Amino acid sequence: MDAQFTVSLALIVATFGLYIGIAVYNKARATSDFYVAGRGVPPVFNGMAIGADWMSAASFIGLAGTVMILGYDGLAYIMGWTGGYLLLTFLLAPQLRKYGRYTVPEFIGDRYRSNTARLIAAVATIIISFTYSVGQLSGSGVVIGRLLEVDTMIGTLIGVVLIAFYSAMGGMKGITWTQVAQYLVLIIAYLIPVIFMSLQLTQNPVPWLSYGEVISEMRVLDQELGISEYIVPFTEGSKWQFIALMFTLMAGTAGLPHVIVRFYTVKTMKAARWSGAWALLFIGLLYLSAPAYAAFSRFILMTQVAGSSLGNLPAWTEAWVDTGKLSLADGNGDGVLQWTELVISNDIVVMATPEIANLGIFIIGLMAAGAMAAALSTAGGLMIAISAALSHDIYFRSINPNASEKKRLSVGRWSIVLATVVAGLVALNPPGAITQIVAWAFALASGSFFPALLLGVWWKRANGPGVIAGMIVGLTVTLSYIFASKFGGFTILGIIDTGAGVFGASAAILANVIVSLLTAPPSQQTQDEVTDLRYPEQIEYKNGEYWLKKVK
Amino acid sequence: MKKMNPERAKAYFRLRTTLICIYLGIGVLVSFVVVLFAENLSSFTVMGIPLPYYMGSQGAIVTFIVLLFFNAIISDAVDKKFGLVPKDDPEEKDQAVNQ
Repeated sequence: MDAQFTVSLALIVATFGLYIGIAVYNKARATSDFYVAGRGVPPVFNGMAIGADWMSAASFIGLAGTVMILGYDGLAYIMGWTGGYLLLTFLLAPQLRKYGRYTVPEFIGDRYRSNTARLIAAVATIIISFTYSVGQLSGSGVVIGRLLEVDTMIGTLIGVVLIAFYSAMGGMKGITWTQVAQYLVLIIAYLIPVIFMSLQLTQNPVPWLSYGEVISEMRVLDQELGISEYIVPFTEGSKWQFIALMFTLMAGTAGLPHVIVRFYTVKTMKAARWSGAWALLFIGLLYLSAPAYAAFSRFILMTQVAGSSLGNLPAWTEAWVDTGKLSLADGNGDGVLQWTELVISNDIVVMATPEIANLGIFIIGLMAAGAMAAALSTAGGLMIAISAALSHDIYFRSINPNASEKKRLSVGRWSIVLATVVAGLVALNPPGAITQIVAWAFALASGSFFPALLLGVWWKRANGPGVIAGMIVGLTVTLSYIFASKFGGFTILGIIDTGAGVFGASAAILANVIVSLLTAPPSQQTQDEVTDLRYPEQIEYKNGEYWLKKVK
Repeated sequence: MKKMNPERAKAYFRLRTTLICIYLGIGVLVSFVVVLFAENLSSFTVMGIPLPYYMGSQGAIVTFIVLLFFNAIISDAVDKKFGLVPKDDPEEKDQAVNQ
């Protein structure tokens, strides 16, 4: 047991103790605590909680690596995942908050007056959150695997046990305040190494301003090597793939149940708007830094690792080769490692950075704690979403409406444990890289929830049969496109599986509009409820009249 | 509860919707439109980075953040103009206690 192991383990155990302490202290006592944290979370803190909920292991571990490997084409992830908050905050979140339910499927079921729609939405929530959580679990596997220097698979198993235990502990209330703490841990862990790297490479402590310099130098290096340049657009895929992926990520963000439900935890529509603004500011700190990471890491790899002889590589490379995430094959047998002979998994760029830049054992431990915080906070939010869909939307609203509070809470907790274990088993052998698994979840969300919510809020003529047709068609088109392009080589305009959401969303909107128009309009009461969503809580729309009310 | 003039309520909704369309338009401009013309814009540089790369890695995200704060501030002002601010805002009180 070396010093590094001890420091990392101590930091992880300490942050774990903190999270569990917070979760126990804020334990849910009532159903509204369990699902929506009693609706009393102030916007700034909700912004942090959204940030932690949102920034997954994929963002923390994989994003900078994806941007490094894909160059310009990786920026679709940066713009897509931040731009989603525009759609969410402008078009959906405040209105959904005013409608005042516990879950997203519940909104869909009650707005469209359809139990079938609620059940489809609940099943879609479970599928999407489940896919997404597989990414979290294999992400925590990378961290633990590296930390304990064991195989990633064993790392994943340890992560599953930790997350199941942790997320079954508290309800939404506990998770909210834990996520605030996790946000702080993960953002500090993310920013410190990139600031140090910026200082080392450019003598400028502000990475966001300094990496332009490194990019200019890399353009020269790329040209000397004759490889495709880092900043040149559309080297990895077509322009339409870039745009389709960006759209899919935006619409998927706006449709992810575990993110939307965070907007249910505030008091008013006004608080929902401010939550969205704070959330994107906190999220932006990480997303603005990822391209800086990518540029610095690529520069160091190009100048310090590539070109050295195989017997003389930096010590950190060895540990990463052991986890199977880095491969250094001397293809032409000249004893020197060329840039093109270096195969680096996008998962390790951030995690290896402190070692690459030689930042010392404390920072390496902090990174591990930060990555765990990112995986845990998102997994926590996802597990609540899955459990709410199972225990509230399916069990309570459809199977046993007379269940006692105690019974409902216990069904919720057990469904969390079950979901985590099953997701963990899939994560043992994840199909594709973390970022890709997560991108599929986005395609599914943009093909099902985004159209249903958008039309539900903004078009009062949309009705039950319309939304059922929309969700089924959207999911079918998205899934078929993913499989056709991934395994059958079928593409339109070069758009591959990760951009499938653009077709799913269009098909779902079309189906919803056509079927709604062909069937009877919703009742006047439903239409009035939708009109009511246009206004803040102080105005109530009823029977064609607007009423001003006092809000306490 | 008292009745509100329907014209005034409709004017409120129109104003909010127009503002949201403007914000979304700006959002699309800095992301999708820049991507659409990426090859043509590559000759411009910001801080040594070609413009499309700069917009994708920083420009668009900063614009998104500014738009969201703008929206929050302006929406509050619009609510105030239409007399929709409760005298005793419970949520500002909460914040004051927590800070």
